[in-house]
Amino acid sequence: MPLAIDSRPAVWFHVDVTVVDPRPRIVVAPDGAPHVAGVRCQACAEPVAYPWPACPECGGPVVAAEFGPEGVVWSATVVRIPVAGRTPPYALAYVDLDDGPRVLAHVVVDGDGDTAPAVGTRVRLRAGAPDPQVEVIG
Amino acid sequence: MSDIAVHGVGTSHFGRAPGTDLVTLAWTAVSEALADAGPGPIDAVWVGTVFAPAGVAQRVLRAMGITRVPVVTVENACASGTTAFAEACEAVRTGRYGRVLALGIEQMSTAFDGAITPEDTDPEGATGLALPALYAMAATRYLHDGAVTPAQLAAVSVKNHAHALHNPRAQYSGRYTVDEVLASRMIADPLTLLQCCPTSDGAGAAVVGPARGGAREVGVRGIALRSGAPWGRRSPHVWGYDIVAETAADALAAAGLHAATDVDVVEVHDAFTIGEIVTTEALGLVAPGEGGKAAETGVTALGGAHPVNPSGGLLSRGHPLGATGLAQLAEIVWQLRGEAGGRQVDGARIGLVETMGGGVSALDGNACVVAVLEAP
Ligand SMILES: [Zn+2]
Repeated sequence: MPLAIDSRPAVWFHVDVTVVDPRPRIVVAPDGAPHVAGVRCQACAEPVAYPWPACPECGGPVVAAEFGPEGVVWSATVVRIPVAGRTPPYALAYVDLDDGPRVLAHVVVDGDGDTAPAVGTRVRLRAGAPDPQVEVIG
Repeated sequence: MSDIAVHGVGTSHFGRAPGTDLVTLAWTAVSEALADAGPGPIDAVWVGTVFAPAGVAQRVLRAMGITRVPVVTVENACASGTTAFAEACEAVRTGRYGRVLALGIEQMSTAFDGAITPEDTDPEGATGLALPALYAMAATRYLHDGAVTPAQLAAVSVKNHAHALHNPRAQYSGRYTVDEVLASRMIADPLTLLQCCPTSDGAGAAVVGPARGGAREVGVRGIALRSGAPWGRRSPHVWGYDIVAETAADALAAAGLHAATDVDVVEVHDAFTIGEIVTTEALGLVAPGEGGKAAETGVTALGGAHPVNPSGGLLSRGHPLGATGLAQLAEIVWQLRGEAGGRQVDGARIGLVETMGGGVSALDGNACVVAVLEAP
């Protein structure tokens, strides 16, 4: 336990202030393919992975849009240190969804999760997990 | 040439000090800065801190008799201290206050057992992206693009730990080899332990006022502050590049300089080795793709053409978030006065401080501050 100087618990500022899950929402389309449910800007066409009320790029109006299910790894890493609620090692990737936004996703890999996909690897979204997840295609 | 000047600076020692309270850390920095600045009033205080509890600024200031003045607390992630400094400078420049104290304070050792993660309310934080992993993404991409080698990443750590041998306030220092850095424990591929800043406690302070031509005053020639643009596939750069490039362009223009290469000494935000490499390129200190090579060949070492982080940087001096910007500023002030001892950059006339804070998903950084300073 970290040492506290005063009477407050040491992690007092980690109290959740919202019950809304901030992670990108994965929805399954009628054809069975998972998509990220976000918005697209009507002014500048920026794809956004979140249901935000305006475009983060230009402030323009947005409409609901879905992105995926496939994309390409922009970069990736393996986290090997303890992170609250997680068991290391685990692989993370920034994935540029085809014609969509860049999203952070866990990479489903065979074995113990200590391999990151190479930059440029084609990946596909997976549904059913609380985290955004992708698996390597092929 | 400058209308505003730093009249005095001070810092605590940097390191893990869970048994020392923030009042003591802050007083070490403030008392040194006040003595350095000489007698005079403090008309207002800007305080930068990230994880300290509400009211911390007034709590530490009352203990040193600084009361009955405007006190403003700012939070801008790792750039909180430099944000406090930037706002203090602006308050003086506009004539709002005469002599202003900028203070940065942070106690990480009592708050974190390991790496920082963004807020749980943030998509990246909720997805398990510890801060080292965010920088690791940039490093992986640089490696893939052939813009850096593992040995060049490690060279930044070797350099900054060696610089800190001459800094008695530094948390760590040492003579490491590239192989030792690469062989240290993997944190987030490809970044190893010695490529990551430590958990630190500390404080930094500066007294800012109108330039009076004093023999020890360091002029504030230009300063800029901005938040990041949305970061994603529109940018051709890794995370944290564009915000530094754009903020630096503003600060250099304000200072009347053509390029960062006109600067003699810089302190940059090297929370991770890749951070220094990306930043030296974004500042324009070296050409794109040359940051790693510059570290490897000594260009950015003491004695090189463009010395970077003579203090040891965040990697070695330490990184108490809110205090970091003022620690960087103090180093540049000492350098420009010729008071930096064994780590002095000979004849330094123009110095630059760059701090960059991040952690908000989809943004290219929460804030960046770049300040250009000139010798008395
Ligand atoms: Zn737009």
